[in-house]
Amino acid sequence: MSLIKDLNELVEANIISEDIAGKIQAYYTKKENSSPNKLFIAFGILGALLIGLGIILIIAHNWDSLSKITKSVISFVPLVVGQLICAFVILKKNTNKTWIEASSVFLFFAVGASISLISQIYNIPGNIASYTITWMLLCLPIVYLMKANTIALLYIIGSTFYACELGYWNYPNITPYNYWFLLLLILPSYYFLYKKNPKSNFLIFYNWLIPISLVISLGTVTNNYSEIMFAAYLSLFGIFYLIGNSIYFKEQNLRNNSFLVISSIGSIGMLLSLSFSWYWDNLLKIEFQFNHLKDFTEIIATTILSIGALILLLKNFNKQFIKNSILLEFVFILFILSFFYGLKYSFSVIFINLIIFAIGILTIKKGEQKNHFGILNFGLLIITALVICRFFDTDLSFVIRGLLFVCVGIGFFITNYWMLKKRKANEK
Amino acid sequence: MKNKTLLISLFIVVAFMQLFVPAKMILTQESILKTGTAFKFKTTPIDPSDPFRGKYIDLNFEENKFKIQNKKDWVLNEDIYVLIENNNQGFAVIKDVVKEKPSSEINFIKAKVQYIQSYKTIKNITIEYPFQRFYMEESKAKEAENLHREALKNEYTTTYALVYLKNGEAVLKNVFINNTPIQDAVMHHQNN
Repeated sequence: MSLIKDLNELVEANIISEDIAGKIQAYYTKKENSSPNKLFIAFGILGALLIGLGIILIIAHNWDSLSKITKSVISFVPLVVGQLICAFVILKKNTNKTWIEASSVFLFFAVGASISLISQIYNIPGNIASYTITWMLLCLPIVYLMKANTIALLYIIGSTFYACELGYWNYPNITPYNYWFLLLLILPSYYFLYKKNPKSNFLIFYNWLIPISLVISLGTVTNNYSEIMFAAYLSLFGIFYLIGNSIYFKEQNLRNNSFLVISSIGSIGMLLSLSFSWYWDNLLKIEFQFNHLKDFTEIIATTILSIGALILLLKNFNKQFIKNSILLEFVFILFILSFFYGLKYSFSVIFINLIIFAIGILTIKKGEQKNHFGILNFGLLIITALVICRFFDTDLSFVIRGLLFVCVGIGFFITNYWMLKKRKANEK
Repeated sequence: MKNKTLLISLFIVVAFMQLFVPAKMILTQESILKTGTAFKFKTTPIDPSDPFRGKYIDLNFEENKFKIQNKKDWVLNEDIYVLIENNNQGFAVIKDVVKEKPSSEINFIKAKVQYIQSYKTIKNITIEYPFQRFYMEESKAKEAENLHREALKNEYTTTYALVYLKNGEAVLKNVFINNTPIQDAVMHHQNN
């Protein structure tokens, strides 16, 4: 309404012609009609989600008073209802996003409810991991047939849960190789959405969930030598960092640039934990033995990820790239070199500390160049975190530690004050 | 229109698969219950909960250890075949544990190695049976556990699981306390 009011005002003031005002109005009316109400979709999904979860909980009560046959028939009711609604949506409402998302979410939970009730009635063995994988695989085709993005997101969450259940929470731990297969099956839908609708809100959710899922699940390949996995993780973060700096992501808000956020925090966090000497002391003592194929899983994962990161790095490599670099994209190479060096000598721990320090300084410099308080303070935070970590090392004297803190504190004040002044001068 | 027909046909295939999986689960279990051999496994239940499938009692079987010669012959979590026979009191006991699948005429269970113990002369494996969960109505699971704890104090009480076996597959039909189904025992206990 306010647009029409504004347009009238602009026409009256002879700023735009009536013709242009008409065109502007027509453009916004068309845009409004073609984009569905986001709130309506969100409530549709939420409603279906609650009903679906509610059905699962009601079923989980285990109704002893019902006969086995009645219970079996009941277990199929939500499933058939869900399927009929989805069939109706495919036939009659296949352009309505709210219908697509809500009906498919309901079907997703109906499938889960049905198999869980049958397992309950017959006390079917099988842990929650095998139940989850059956559920996910039965719902995967819905993602592609109905272009239902919420199901894709639930599927990623379910697959990650499956990986954690087997790889972390189960005793004895089993490497969940199927997780990678599950993830591979969902990637085409991610790609289609990116190609077809790069501004979709669902894509932002995908962008967050996929890297988070990868970060969580990568650790499950660890069998014997978790020390090697640090290289795998740093390579993964290297890949994420380069993706986060691609043209598509650079245009996004920082809160939507999940790859950049996850990789920056992940790399720094990992480097900080490596800046303690325990890791390197341990590395000197390890005797690697590779007898079975499963002893190689960490090496295979690290090799694949580091080669991937290296290819991506070489693809982006040019003068401008080096000039803008804050060293984060090279961390995996530097770490792998220090890892091999660390197998024999203990100098690597100092090297890691120097890398963190250099990243901090380069980030501060970049923040200053870009006149960006966020980046500047992130750099300062890196240095602070490094100082705090060294605070826990007992071999430094209290005086030196105290002085370090004071210096960093002063650094915070000076750099921020100086940048503020610079910004004000520019504004004048 | 053509696209829509293809889409709905594919959807029907998927819907059929979604119906087939639970239906197949029912058929397999029913077939074991109808044509399998019944065994009574002495047990001690406790009650945890599953977020999706509700309350169940976890069954801990008395007959779950098997003596071994050498620790190195066994791997944690590997598949094993447990040969079952009845003892004089009519309860199931382990006859042997093998790694090759036995012929279908013999009564056996496909299970896993849960734990390997090797300390001085004590050398055995703990078997993880595929029927360690018995689902119960939410309100009865806790009561069942209490009832069982009381029953344990009484040496004349026996708790057992009735399990049907067929070609390595097992279906847990019910859990009994002194020959009374656990649901009835709980109900009787609640009414008193």
